[in-house]
Amino acid sequence: MLQLKSMLNCIDNSGASIVECVMVVGQKRHASIGDRIVCVVQKQRGASESGMTASSNATKVKRGDIRHAVVVRTKQKVSRRDGSVVRFDDNACVLINKAGDPIGTRINGIVGQELRTKKWSKILSMAPMQA
Amino acid sequence: MNAAPLARRPLGCLKASLRQARQQRTTAAAPAAFLARQLSTVTPTVAGTGALPEHNFFRMIDKKTKKTRSAFAVYAQPPPVPATTAAQATLLPAPPPDPMPHLAAEQIKSMDPTGARTALFTKTRYAARVGDVLMVTHRRGGEPFAGVCLAIRRNGIDTSVLLRNHLSKVGVEMWYKVYNRNVAGIEIVKRRAKRARRAKLTYMRQPKHDMGSVADLVFAWKKTRKVIGSKPGAGKGAQSAKKRK
Repeated sequence: MLQLKSMLNCIDNSGASIVECVMVVGQKRHASIGDRIVCVVQKQRGASESGMTASSNATKVKRGDIRHAVVVRTKQKVSRRDGSVVRFDDNACVLINKAGDPIGTRINGIVGQELRTKKWSKILSMAPMQA
Repeated sequence: MNAAPLARRPLGCLKASLRQARQQRTTAAAPAAFLARQLSTVTPTVAGTGALPEHNFFRMIDKKTKKTRSAFAVYAQPPPVPATTAAQATLLPAPPPDPMPHLAAEQIKSMDPTGARTALFTKTRYAARVGDVLMVTHRRGGEPFAGVCLAIRRNGIDTSVLLRNHLSKVGVEMWYKVYNRNVAGIEIVKRRAKRARRAKLTYMRQPKHDMGSVADLVFAWKKTRKVIGSKPGAGKGAQSAKKRK
């Protein structure tokens, strides 16, 4: 249930760590798993864990950048066709460019299976796990 | 009584005008004179309508053109059914029994012919309880989902369980319908040591009480199961009863 001002974790290696949703693309409702949003990068990954990722030249985005993203996990329950329901402990997204290709090269973290029905196969193939 | 707007209204409000006419008729005999002023009432009705029940036929005449602008018939309400006496009531057949329990039983029977799923979640000693670690296997492939059972919704055919686990350091919760055909099997990986004193263990979402990943429990259980499974005919305890259809 992501809308204006929602804060999400960014779970790819694009360089963003926390982003803020500023718009849900293509619909007038809140965003759920597999929906496209426009977001502002609020925190860079290098800033928080400077020791770990010393080679922060891999960061493709900076703080204040406006980017598109795909929601991959939500705290709000998402129900499926067979009656099962999935809920994650956080809201997370993966940054993409305008064409819909992911900006980062890898995803660390589980993603929702709804991405399959929403045709985000590139993100699914990068993800280590899906639930 | 506002029959004036009724008369002024053109077509398309037949239902409203019918309702109004019914009201007027029921109030008193006075409206007859009233209607006569507004509408030309033709009681004997159209020819050849002998089969029709008694009704009033109204025509709305345009004041300028003096032509029929609209016409409609108002039928009397059917006479009320006389109240049944006590003697008649005894002769009446008994009302049909509530079909819903029967339907629910039929549904459960069709979805769970062996009764294993029902047995796993009815309140018995051997049933799964909240706090147990369960594993749900899908028929549609994919990894089986294991997690600690936080809640069981016992609701007939809609019975479902809430499992919680940590996958790649993120808490994931899944509700599964017990009688779903896609759920190939539900297995008890580990019993809770002590009976939970709550029906819903939602407090286990808090970091203080969170169990974390149950992957190691599942791994250990799978190892023991393999040992047992290698011996043909070795009886599995109720602890790890495989509930497969």
